Amino acid sequence: MMHSILHNKSRKIYIILFWIVVWEVLSLVINQEIYLPSPFSTFNALVDLLKNKDTYITILFSTYRTLSGFFVSCLFGIVIGYICGTNQFFYDLFTPFIGIIRTVPVMSIIIIAIMWFKDTNVPIFVAFLMCFPIIWTNTVSGIKSTDPKLLQMCQIYNIKKVRVITSVYFYSVLPYVKAAMISALGIGWKVTSAAEVLSLPKYSIGRYLYDSKVYLEIPALFAWTVIIITLSYFFETVLKKLFKSRNYD
Amino acid sequence: MINLVNINKKFADLEILKNFSISFEENKISCLFGPSGVGKTTIANIASKLVLVDNGEVTGTEKAVYSYVFQEPRLLEWFSVYDNIDFVLKDVYDIEKRVNIINNYINMVELNGYENYKPNALSGGMCQRVSLARAFAYPSNFLILDEPFKGLDIKLKNEMIFLFKKLWSESKRTVLFITHDVDEAVTLSDSIYIIKNKPVEIMEKIVMNNKDKEEAKKLLISYYT
Repeated sequence: MMHSILHNKSRKIYIILFWIVVWEVLSLVINQEIYLPSPFSTFNALVDLLKNKDTYITILFSTYRTLSGFFVSCLFGIVIGYICGTNQFFYDLFTPFIGIIRTVPVMSIIIIAIMWFKDTNVPIFVAFLMCFPIIWTNTVSGIKSTDPKLLQMCQIYNIKKVRVITSVYFYSVLPYVKAAMISALGIGWKVTSAAEVLSLPKYSIGRYLYDSKVYLEIPALFAWTVIIITLSYFFETVLKKLFKSRNYD
Repeated sequence: MINLVNINKKFADLEILKNFSISFEENKISCLFGPSGVGKTTIANIASKLVLVDNGEVTGTEKAVYSYVFQEPRLLEWFSVYDNIDFVLKDVYDIEKRVNIINNYINMVELNGYENYKPNALSGGMCQRVSLARAFAYPSNFLILDEPFKGLDIKLKNEMIFLFKKLWSESKRTVLFITHDVDEAVTLSDSIYIIKNKPVEIMEKIVMNNKDKEEAKKLLISYYT
């Protein structure tokens, strides 16, 4: 067991190393920092960023925006999803609305949001709007997949509505919502950064991405990208651990 | 006593019940005996108000409190044996009383030691015993058993029948027992309604007290062939 875990870990490290080598080779072939900076210069840019206090403030603000959008979409997605899953009228009412949000280009939403909100709230709103349909759809599927035989059993035994929700629907929906939350969180990070690039709040990863484009600091662009990936991965792991610690796998 | 009086019930265009009447005597075991698909479960669901009738009257249900042993155990797979029984009692009793009742019934169905097992760790027969314990633990006065021994092998079936008799003799209630098994019907019932056809008709009512079991069996089989 121990041996296989070690083996697994070292294997992962080799795989990562392999792709870094591929990256290095590609950047050597291209030999133009502006198109593809080498892993080394990206690393240097990253170290420079990590020495700067503003970087941490920026990370904090962008994290706040991503998580706010994510939590709000979870809240609305689950509550409205429950209502639509149990009530055909509301399901029919919401279906076209969700369908539209799903297909509208992110950029259109970002631009319209810039007209409506303060710069810092634009990414929150956009992240919410992008994550909400995912949570909603999965909640509805979870509710609809709840075994009607169990619900009939609850009816026979006169179980209170609240307890049917907490003890039957909750567990039936859980695997669906869990998967949705994990993918929504990842999308949340991407969309928040995109919205920040256009709305340019004072402290935001997006603003730095934008600046690195303007000043052609491509290694910095890569370094910020590495930061976003790391944050996204970190929060995904935390979320999974959270589910696990509550025995919700 | 629960009475169904002149009931009409259609599903889509299929007429299941037409001017159908039946009554279930208090604290007796009434058996609906008939082939699969004839509408036995529909009758049970009407008696337990799970299904509404198109026409007719169901009387005697004002004070009825139901419990049900379904064809499948219908347990919450994320809860343990204990919590599954607790689930139906939570709105009825306080915690101290529940602990006693649940442990008592887990004992009666001989599942002590399995309190904390989840259903997927138990065999089908054990799950059905939990379902039986749940039905008796719940303070119902009308108990429906819808082919509860279906799919169990002979040995398990006899064990379940034995358990059911034990539980019922200690806590009597009106029972509606659905089966198409001749042996089950004559062993458990106080009276047997033989039903057939579409819409459902009662062919004969057999009252079992003092009646010879073999004779009753022959009669039941004669309707089947």
